[in-house]
Amino acid sequence: MIRYLLSKIIQIIVVLLCLSFLSFVFIKLAPGDPVKAMLDIDEVLITEAEIEDIRSEMGFDQPIFVQYGMWLKQAIKLDFGESYLTNRPVLSEIQDRLQASLELMGGGMLVVILISIPLGVCSAVYQSKWIDHLGRIFSFFGASIPSFWLGLLLIYFFSVKLKVLPFIGNNGAESLILPSLTLGLAMSAVYARLLRAAMLETMNKPYIKALRMKGIREKSLIFKYSLRESMIPVVTMFGMSLGNLLAGAIVVEILFSWPGLGKMVVEAIMNRDYPLIQAYILLSGIFVMSINLIVDLSYYLLDPKLRRKEQRA
Amino acid sequence: MKATFLSIFIGIVLMLSACSNSSTNSKEAANEAQEKSLTFLFNFPTSTLDPHQDDNSTTVRAGITETLVKLNEDLELEPWLASEWKAIDELTWSFTVQEGVLFQDGTTLDAEAVKQSFERGINVSESMKAALKLESISTDGNSVIFKTTQPLPAFPSELTHPHTSIVKVEDDEKLRTAPIGTGPFVVDTFDSEVKVELTKNTSYWNGEPKLDKVTFGFNSDANARAMALQSGEADIIYYLPSELATSLKSDKNIVVESVSSLRTHFISYNMNSSEVADENVRQALDSLFDREAVANDLMGGMAVPAGGPFNPDFPFSMKADPVKYDPSHAKKLLEEAGYKEDNGVMKKNGEPLQLEMITYQSRPELPLIAQMLQSNAKEIGVEINIKSVENIDEYLSTNEEWDIATYSNLTAPRGDVGYFLNSAYSLDGALNIGEINDPEINEILTELNKTTDVEKRNDVGKQVENMTQQKIYQSYIVHPMITVAMNKDVKNYSVSKQEYYLITNQLDVE
Repeated sequence: MIRYLLSKIIQIIVVLLCLSFLSFVFIKLAPGDPVKAMLDIDEVLITEAEIEDIRSEMGFDQPIFVQYGMWLKQAIKLDFGESYLTNRPVLSEIQDRLQASLELMGGGMLVVILISIPLGVCSAVYQSKWIDHLGRIFSFFGASIPSFWLGLLLIYFFSVKLKVLPFIGNNGAESLILPSLTLGLAMSAVYARLLRAAMLETMNKPYIKALRMKGIREKSLIFKYSLRESMIPVVTMFGMSLGNLLAGAIVVEILFSWPGLGKMVVEAIMNRDYPLIQAYILLSGIFVMSINLIVDLSYYLLDPKLRRKEQRA
Repeated sequence: MKATFLSIFIGIVLMLSACSNSSTNSKEAANEAQEKSLTFLFNFPTSTLDPHQDDNSTTVRAGITETLVKLNEDLELEPWLASEWKAIDELTWSFTVQEGVLFQDGTTLDAEAVKQSFERGINVSESMKAALKLESISTDGNSVIFKTTQPLPAFPSELTHPHTSIVKVEDDEKLRTAPIGTGPFVVDTFDSEVKVELTKNTSYWNGEPKLDKVTFGFNSDANARAMALQSGEADIIYYLPSELATSLKSDKNIVVESVSSLRTHFISYNMNSSEVADENVRQALDSLFDREAVANDLMGGMAVPAGGPFNPDFPFSMKADPVKYDPSHAKKLLEEAGYKEDNGVMKKNGEPLQLEMITYQSRPELPLIAQMLQSNAKEIGVEINIKSVENIDEYLSTNEEWDIATYSNLTAPRGDVGYFLNSAYSLDGALNIGEINDPEINEILTELNKTTDVEKRNDVGKQVENMTQQKIYQSYIVHPMITVAMNKDVKNYSVSKQEYYLITNQLDVE
């Protein structure tokens, strides 16, 4: 187990180095000029010569490897530099928004868990009954409605018509409900189908049939044996979704004035705020890979076979 | 992962508590009923309230900080925190600080405080450093003396820029979250990219504000802003696209107002292109734009046809009539340029006239304007290929192979004629994308940049405008409108062409 962990960690470091280098090069090669954004050229009278001066002052005329080397030297010390636009340390910028993103992610995940587990289990247990059909219709709509439209529908219904829920900004618990639903509903649809399929497969396995014949209660068959095994594909996907959720909630963040990371990085890209983009890519890399590691480890908890294999080895 | 589980747990607890929240909210609302408050929803979110760094000018817009000079409703410079100013010589300006102005913490605004604020501003903002070209700042009694490194006749107009707002200089973090200015409203709380909550400044120098509280919120989605107004979460919403304005107009509780902005959508021609370098070809293309149709059909009436680079209300605008759509005139001009019609195609020396037009998506009407020109040009046998790029500035500065480009700019954001003409027509200007190099224009621009007297400046500016218009270095298409929708209970708010001072001491609700 420890050897496995160590090799994983070394892998992560190598991948992160490659990721940081490639992203650095690609960002620099992409069109766009942070100096123009910094200087407000579309509002302030600036000459080309002044733009060039600042460009060389910031080291943009250096070869790309030199620029990357300088960045890496600082990054190892966890100093990701300062945002070109706000002059604040990049880490503070990210920290400020991380909490809002985590709240939104938590809300979305809660919706996913509350909807997809009961729906997935019921659809499998009552296969081809009305609840299974309902689940199918829900999944169909959930997976095909774009989230900005779903968000607008929810706002229209709950805020404009019923006037029961606020939607602008983060004013306590109530304002988390609509963005969480927007984010979670579409994902629940996918998870419910995934769990249903896994449950059906597990429930048809010979050992479950044997247990049923032995007279084990149906409830324990479903929750203790089948659900546990069926969670493996769900947990795998959950890990991947967390990464998506952290970065991909941009539409929801814009619609609900939610100050999250997704919106921040889009703005950073528009303004070519290199230090911010670079740090964001690296930190999301770390996040996604750590989640994958945790997912891998959680298989041990979910699947006793894996634990036994390890003991035998 | 730990954090995620924690958030899930917190999420559950918060959701459960939400049910009981509504009753407390209504009690709070009852207590606040005596207080006059208003929520203004703006379109660009900001993560900093530091006026020297915030590109969205939030502090001036939200009534927190103010500038020495202001652009008034007639689009003329007006004394604000400076009661008067004069040029001592071509490099030196003296600004007298308004008497009786207090910072929001009760300290007096004096020349020294203004000096400190400017010093800090040019220290943190590269754009202000480059724009103001300051050699030194000193004080003389109640006057601030600015010395520039080169003659800068537009200096007073530059001081309307929100980046030159006067703030009490404190540490950066305090300036980011709760700057102390001289405006009618004081920052209560700032929720980055969500809202600023403000309380009235009872000792405001220009009269006590009528509102007790203001929430200045941000949401960049126009649909969400419109629904916030309908749901009562916002009282005034800024910037509405035409389709939403039309639907909101039908609501009897909502008032929609529009005014033509200081922005101009225009077309640039590449002087390095052998085709459009010909003045006749540019003249022909200029008369192929149906400006009325762009304003009324493409933009749903939310724009006015442009007759020049500047909003016609500016004293320096040449106020010409917009060029009329005239395909037969265009064809005649092309014939003068040596093109002949052959099987419905305009050809010169056997080569058909084909042009490449560059546009970009971030202002949705620009690609539509390009398509309209494409279809109008096709009628007289000219082929235009449209290419949409992500970053227009970058594309045009690194590619030579283009003929026409759509562009949009605030042409006189600070009420002076010099900024746009210099940026767009002088060879070294950052916005001279077509590489225009006209000796006559260069000469007259040099004269403009030496002229301090405002009236004379305006006259020289008009001469440049006339020259650029005669030679059609650019085709000015429309001035888009700023549309604002508000609850009918809002009082003393009218949409202004200058987009800076949005929250004032006069703003009120019934």
